[in-house]
Amino acid sequence: MKPVLEVAGLCCRLGSRTVLRNIGFSLGEGQAVALVGANGAGKSTLLWAILGLLPSDGEVRIFGRPRSRDGLARLGVVFQNPEDQLFMPSLEQDLTLPLLNRGEAPGPAREKALEALEAVGLAGYAGTPAQRLSLGQRKRAAIASVLVSSPSLLILDEPTAELDPRSVRQLTALLNRLPVARLIASHHLEFLQATTTRALLLSEGAIAADGPSGSVLGDEGLLAGAGLI
Amino acid sequence: MILRRLAPVLLFAAVLFLMQWFSGRGLTALPFLTVAVFLAVVLLGRWIPWQSLGARVRPGSRLFSLVLFLHITRHFVSILGQETTRVLQARALCLRRRWGPGAFRSLAWALAGILGRSLVRAERFYAAQLLRGLGE
Repeated sequence: MKPVLEVAGLCCRLGSRTVLRNIGFSLGEGQAVALVGANGAGKSTLLWAILGLLPSDGEVRIFGRPRSRDGLARLGVVFQNPEDQLFMPSLEQDLTLPLLNRGEAPGPAREKALEALEAVGLAGYAGTPAQRLSLGQRKRAAIASVLVSSPSLLILDEPTAELDPRSVRQLTALLNRLPVARLIASHHLEFLQATTTRALLLSEGAIAADGPSGSVLGDEGLLAGAGLI
Repeated sequence: MILRRLAPVLLFAAVLFLMQWFSGRGLTALPFLTVAVFLAVVLLGRWIPWQSLGARVRPGSRLFSLVLFLHITRHFVSILGQETTRVLQARALCLRRRWGPGAFRSLAWALAGILGRSLVRAERFYAAQLLRGLGE
């Protein structure tokens, strides 16, 4: 299995506080990995450090090469708050904007946008602004906004935050249909059990366990030790 | 509606005017400019055809940066408005007295909180757009 993301010896300090300590893992093509940890364990910080949005020490390789603009362009990052991603007056404009900005012609860009909206179950909402959708729909629209660029790795930060059970089920079904590698940061254990095959347990800025989702997320002692239950 | 929105801006301008008056260093046009700019932005915001604006202007054209700037500003003003409403509603629910030293102190903390939250939201928004390739 070709690695799409490799992290080695990653450390991050915010002021005088060490928030990530010697993080190392790799993620292969098509793999779905959970990044699980209690609030403040360092999940989001780790994602930001991987993406180069926070200064850190250590090595991050994306698709076998050191992190670069080209490598990052092949990632799809879904932030916790969809409003951080969607701001145009219609979903279609939100989805086509990065494609047009990269020089794609309007016709194919529009087709890709409509396909992505259909893939997330929002086919009839191309002309609707994101602000008029429910939170569950906005989350799916945010996923569509990254799917439109055909990413090889999807990174999701707390995708189920503030979602009702029905929206969580819809999101689970959507993610399981996607053929791309996924790294999902969350503390929603049931959701992670249903959407990932491997889990990294983060505790106090270090990886406390790395194994199949079923065994890591089902180990009550491990989860209690990490402050999750 | 516009008068209701104008009230805090008028209050801000009035406080600014009084601060200048009492400092004795002479008055500037800043309070009046504040109100004028607010009114201009509100009227412009209503006049601009937002829906068709984005569709008409293509990346690479001269107007693209301006249109993107307007869309981002509009979006962020809306985020700022939501954050401010939430914080002030939360403060109003916790407050026992509307006026007095405690009330003013809590208002100061609430406003400082809005600034902090706005910076966090701005940072996340910037990061998200950068990763979507819009910073290129």
